[in-house]
Amino acid sequence: MTRAASETPELPPQPIYTLRDYKPPIEPEPFYQHYESGIPIAIDLGSSQMRAGLTKELKPNNVFPSVVARYRDRKAATTLTLVGNDTYRDVSVRSSIKSPFDGPLITNWDYAEVMLDYLFEHLGVVGSSVTGGIDNPIVMTEPVCCPFSQRRTMYELLFENYQAPSVAFGIDSLFSYYANSATPAKSNGIVIGTGHELTHVIPVVNGKGILTQTKRIDWGGDQCQTFLSKLLMLKYPYFSSKLTPSQATNLFEEFCYILKDYQYELSNYLSLDYLEEKDIVAQAPIEFHQVVEKKKTEEELAKQAEKRREQGRRLQEQAQQKRKEKLEQKQQEFDYYSDIKNQLEGLDSQDVLLTLQDAGFDDLNDFNKYLSSLKKSLKKSQDGEDDPDQIEDPSITWPLVDIPDEELNDEEKRAKKRQRLHKANWEAREKAKEQKKQEEEERIKFEKEQEEWRARDLEDWCNTKRLELAEYISGYKERVKLLDSFKDRKSAAAQRRMKNIADLAGDEANNSSSSRKRKRNATIDNDPNDTFGANDDDWSVYREINNTKLEEQQEEDQKRITALEEELLKFDPDFHYEDTFAASQTFDWKNLVLHKFIHGPRQSISISMQAEGKTPEEIASHPEIIKRSHQMHLNIERIRVPEVLFQPSMAGLDQAGLIELLGDLVLKRFDGNFLSGGQSYSLIQDIFITGGLARLPNFSDRVFNDLQALIPTGSPLKVRLAQDPRLDAWKGMSKWANTEESKASFVTKKEYEEYGSEYIKEHGLGNVCLR
Amino acid sequence: MNGKDEQQTPVDLHKLSAVTTKVHSFKNPNRIPPTRRYKPLRQLISDETKYLQTKDNIKFDTPTYNSVAAPPSLRPQKHYCDITGLPTKYKSPANSVRFYNVEIYQEVIKNMPPGVDQNYLELRGANVILK
Repeated sequence: MTRAASETPELPPQPIYTLRDYKPPIEPEPFYQHYESGIPIAIDLGSSQMRAGLTKELKPNNVFPSVVARYRDRKAATTLTLVGNDTYRDVSVRSSIKSPFDGPLITNWDYAEVMLDYLFEHLGVVGSSVTGGIDNPIVMTEPVCCPFSQRRTMYELLFENYQAPSVAFGIDSLFSYYANSATPAKSNGIVIGTGHELTHVIPVVNGKGILTQTKRIDWGGDQCQTFLSKLLMLKYPYFSSKLTPSQATNLFEEFCYILKDYQYELSNYLSLDYLEEKDIVAQAPIEFHQVVEKKKTEEELAKQAEKRREQGRRLQEQAQQKRKEKLEQKQQEFDYYSDIKNQLEGLDSQDVLLTLQDAGFDDLNDFNKYLSSLKKSLKKSQDGEDDPDQIEDPSITWPLVDIPDEELNDEEKRAKKRQRLHKANWEAREKAKEQKKQEEEERIKFEKEQEEWRARDLEDWCNTKRLELAEYISGYKERVKLLDSFKDRKSAAAQRRMKNIADLAGDEANNSSSSRKRKRNATIDNDPNDTFGANDDDWSVYREINNTKLEEQQEEDQKRITALEEELLKFDPDFHYEDTFAASQTFDWKNLVLHKFIHGPRQSISISMQAEGKTPEEIASHPEIIKRSHQMHLNIERIRVPEVLFQPSMAGLDQAGLIELLGDLVLKRFDGNFLSGGQSYSLIQDIFITGGLARLPNFSDRVFNDLQALIPTGSPLKVRLAQDPRLDAWKGMSKWANTEESKASFVTKKEYEEYGSEYIKEHGLGNVCLR
Repeated sequence: MNGKDEQQTPVDLHKLSAVTTKVHSFKNPNRIPPTRRYKPLRQLISDETKYLQTKDNIKFDTPTYNSVAAPPSLRPQKHYCDITGLPTKYKSPANSVRFYNVEIYQEVIKNMPPGVDQNYLELRGANVILK
């Protein structure tokens, strides 16, 4: 264990969050049992969720995601149409889930119609006996400043397809504000409506939304979620499984939050204390294909080696045996034929031939040839058996070497040649042995000297060695820098090198006086003047250009450094592992921004595993490592994503942020009077935040903090959240539809037929009529 | 885990689908469904712009889908590291990716595979778009 590690107390492992996909509620989509005709139906048709129900209830009967899936069942040869949560109930359907929306607007009206069919069935709507359509007024949400084509198609759908008696449109965030006001008709304030796709700032005066002063930021929950998954994909490019949109949504909803003071906290965010608290580990599901490859024990390995050796020995023995047998056979053969030869001497040529042909030879020549070759091979094998290592005296083993050629016949001369070769080999071996011995002696002597030095003056020894080490290290580092600078073509070192190469090339042509002549004669390979390569040193030119020399030197120095460090570790009491060059090279993760950003506030375990001496394969297949390679650390993303609402430029959106819009509104667009009675005075008393993003922690605090800095001190600024940011819009619709004043705001079928689809009645919670 | 849940509560997709696809009592049976053309968001918005141009009652302050869009920010932009998100004032001269410190530059930006710098720039809409 290293010193650094023992100083810090052991931290508990970080809690791990598992990535989750969207899961539909277990209960099936409820069917409404108390349907009554004539009671308005409120439909909050949002791009992420549809909430709808009869307005006599306190809560919408049906809340489901705005998605439709058309799925072809091949077995039954039918196409299924599934809506909302039902699309998530079967895995095979999930891939065909689509939304009728593209961004904030409906683009696929067939899907929208399917969704409404599905909805009305679940609300228990029964067709009217008179018209054959829906017998309920319908209150519906539409986008702020709804494009004409949207409203026209929706009108068509509601009036012509469903034959609704009357329809009213409104803006969801204004309905939400309506639901959250005690006296809706007199309320003043600014509504911040955060949606799935868009965010609006709508001032409200006397209960009516002022659309002329409304501003929209094209950023909402969906963009946040996409931004988050983009960030994480770039942060973990090696991540094997892609983060699904619903996983990203869950991550965003659970962990993202808004900071009161972004600039201040951001700069501290990657400090260890902060990370310890804020870092979130998200685990992607993994399947372990654990390869059960048991590691062989030491004993087993030894056994295996022994077996192999045994086999080798047996083979050797067998070969020897075979050789012996062969030799014996040859000897017998030789003896036999020698006998025949002796017999042959007494016979005449005719009989000789006959005997030989009996023995399988053509004639005497053939026989003689065979005999001599047998003799030769016998002699050779006998000669080969003596071991060259056991030679005591070269003059006995190789007697011919020292005798001059003149005294020898041809046979002997050949033998002498062979003997000389053997002798030279033997001599070289002896010399090498001698040298080795000498080196060993020198080493022992050197070590003894060192030991004596240490015994005499340890401090001096240490200092000298340390100095030596420092020199090597500095040289090493210098060379690393140099090698590194070669990578950059524009660096001074690289430029110098290029110049050298150019000079080398130029030299050959220009340095001699006869350069011209040479040029003329020069051919590619038959140049008589070209002596390049005659000297081995010539080739070092290439080595210099290649930086091989540098690299070799680096390797050498690395070896020296490790050797020196080993000695110092052994003998110097003040030299620890942390002081070694290797330790200084391994990074200090606590000071690395990148490590903390990607791996959170804990040390990477692969490094500690390396320190334990595990092989790379072992580390790669370790279950903990596999698990960690499927983990993501959420830290800065947690605050970076929601911050886009306040600084849209962070996500490349060329629009003013939320606070800038609010400040503009109260300071410039309204009277800017923050004294009692002023317009701005009444507006800032009720800043109201609703919509999905209102659930982000600290949203109201942030708006309060930032807005307070813009308006005069002492102004009665108040910021509040909707009670239920997601459902309050529906509740407001329901509340509004039950009031007397709303009755006049519905457009009847007859009015629609008369005035066309541009016609709506303005009621303060909806859009402006442009007709 | 998901598979287990689904096994416990098997769903009859045909039954679920029938709720939507059956003949509805509240729908006009005589209505011929119009042939609808799928238009993407961008086209819807440009259609709206064209439609508004035909209207003569649009004044300078009439709220329309285009006019309510927030104007560009007038405040000085703050710069953040593209990789970590930390505040910074450095920018890589080669690909104009912003970075927090020398470590990020050495470890990430210098070793970036081709194209990844554009992915980072895309986050803040500063990537090069070839047309």
